[in-house]
Amino acid sequence: MKRGFKIALAQIECKRADKTENLRRIEQTVVKARKQGAELIVFPELSLTGYVVRDEIYELAEPIPGPATETVEKIAQKTKTYIVFGMPELSRKAQATIHNTAVLVGPEGLVGKYQKMYLPTHSVFEEKRYFRPGYQAAALDTKLGKIGLIICYDIFFPEVSRLTRLEGAQLIVCISASPATRRTFFETLTVARAMENTAFLAYVNLVGIEDGLQFWGGSRLIGPNGRILAKARYDEEDMVMGTIDYADIRPVETFVPTLRDLRPELFDKLKENAEKL
Amino acid sequence: MELTSSALELDWQEVQARIERFIKDYVKKSGAKGIVLGLSGGIDSCTVAALSALAIGGKKVLGLQLPEKETRNATDIKHSIFVAKKFGFKTETIDITPALQAFYKSFSTFDPSDKVCKGNVKARMRMIYIYYYANKLNMLVCGSSDKSETMMGYFTKWGDVAADISPLMDLYKTQVRKLARHIGISKGIVAKPSTPALWPGQLAEKELGMEYEQLDLILYGLEHFMKTEEIAKQLHLNKALADKAKRRWLAAEHKRRMLLTAKIEYRTVGTDFRLPRDPF
Repeated sequence: MKRGFKIALAQIECKRADKTENLRRIEQTVVKARKQGAELIVFPELSLTGYVVRDEIYELAEPIPGPATETVEKIAQKTKTYIVFGMPELSRKAQATIHNTAVLVGPEGLVGKYQKMYLPTHSVFEEKRYFRPGYQAAALDTKLGKIGLIICYDIFFPEVSRLTRLEGAQLIVCISASPATRRTFFETLTVARAMENTAFLAYVNLVGIEDGLQFWGGSRLIGPNGRILAKARYDEEDMVMGTIDYADIRPVETFVPTLRDLRPELFDKLKENAEKL
Repeated sequence: MELTSSALELDWQEVQARIERFIKDYVKKSGAKGIVLGLSGGIDSCTVAALSALAIGGKKVLGLQLPEKETRNATDIKHSIFVAKKFGFKTETIDITPALQAFYKSFSTFDPSDKVCKGNVKARMRMIYIYYYANKLNMLVCGSSDKSETMMGYFTKWGDVAADISPLMDLYKTQVRKLARHIGISKGIVAKPSTPALWPGQLAEKELGMEYEQLDLILYGLEHFMKTEEIAKQLHLNKALADKAKRRWLAAEHKRRMLLTAKIEYRTVGTDFRLPRDPF
């Protein structure tokens, strides 16, 4: 496993329902990031299609692997990079069952995927109307170490990040499409998830306006001690680079040993009480 | 939650930026050449005109002054011109009195003593002029409704609320006042009493039954799912007043939503046809 590498937080604006254009933007950004030394480039949630596509999702969703992932695989192979992006994933076993999925591809091809577990369906969000929730946490093996994937609202539920950490991820990637009214929540929770897991956390948010929703950007790389190592601009397209050195985890993990101090028996109690809520 | 005026405080710089981005983005995506809006000289239309000019440049913004003889107000006209000069957008003035009179005279059952029906004709007549210009010039109509009036249904259906975008609709009137001051709208415009100008002497606060400072806090409480008992208690007012505002808010939903139809087919316009609203 590589100890240190550069990550690019690629905070792009998407063209609604235009996969060809969004793949072009992804490729252009990956090439630019690679030139600056990035080995992992992360794009926002549903960056293949844009976030507010509503009923158009049925036409846009694709299986994985499928044409979109194959295109991004080629970009990854050509540039020798790992890429995380978001897309609506059509189940191969059904005709209109879709997941909100984060995909990780690398020089070796498709590494894996994560299907969003917590689908916001309140306020302006209507994800449960369109998506089936996932049931598996994802901690995916790469030459850059084990990478955990979570998506946006998952960050409100510490157990999702914690699961990836317990499966060995030392870098948790959170792709997001968060509108500006939620900024405070995410600025707080991203730091909290990194600290409580003593892990790196890369948060990449969408920018642009879709149906009146203004996505605030503000992507960030957070160190295991909660320090913000790189931060993208608010409200506009941006790409920032950060360096991940896994050796930085050790002193934090010894100073605040949250993993050592985990109490599994409490999780049974949590389950019991959550079922009775 | 504490219902005080500080609950309505926002970062006005951020609000301004967000509204300007919204206007600019929508005009760009729609491919329109600019924005046309009704410019009454009141705080809402002056603020939205100024923000439009700041967002896309004054040359692409046209404010239409549409006075008519019963409600013509020299101060409002002066205020409109002042704001247009300050923010560098264009204006045109059309006296809609002849069109209104032609309408009144066109059928024998027109009742001039019914001021609400007659007033709504004025609001809809203004809408016709504004949309004519939008159509002719390939511009978008920018509405100036605020959240207080929209929640209370205090507008004319298909009249003053008719627009392609309504950038102030998520701000209560007292918030619009603060935003207006922040962007440099003069005190005289901000402080004068609001009126829909449907008949002489019409005043918004008188018709709504309370001052905006109080109404906005009631509505803010309702927005945050507070019960009217709690709202009344916190604001030291009669619960009946909060209940009345709540009833009015709920009763006006038909004015804010897409047309209702009988559900017959697989997917229905306005209910389960769910498509993005943004133009490509």
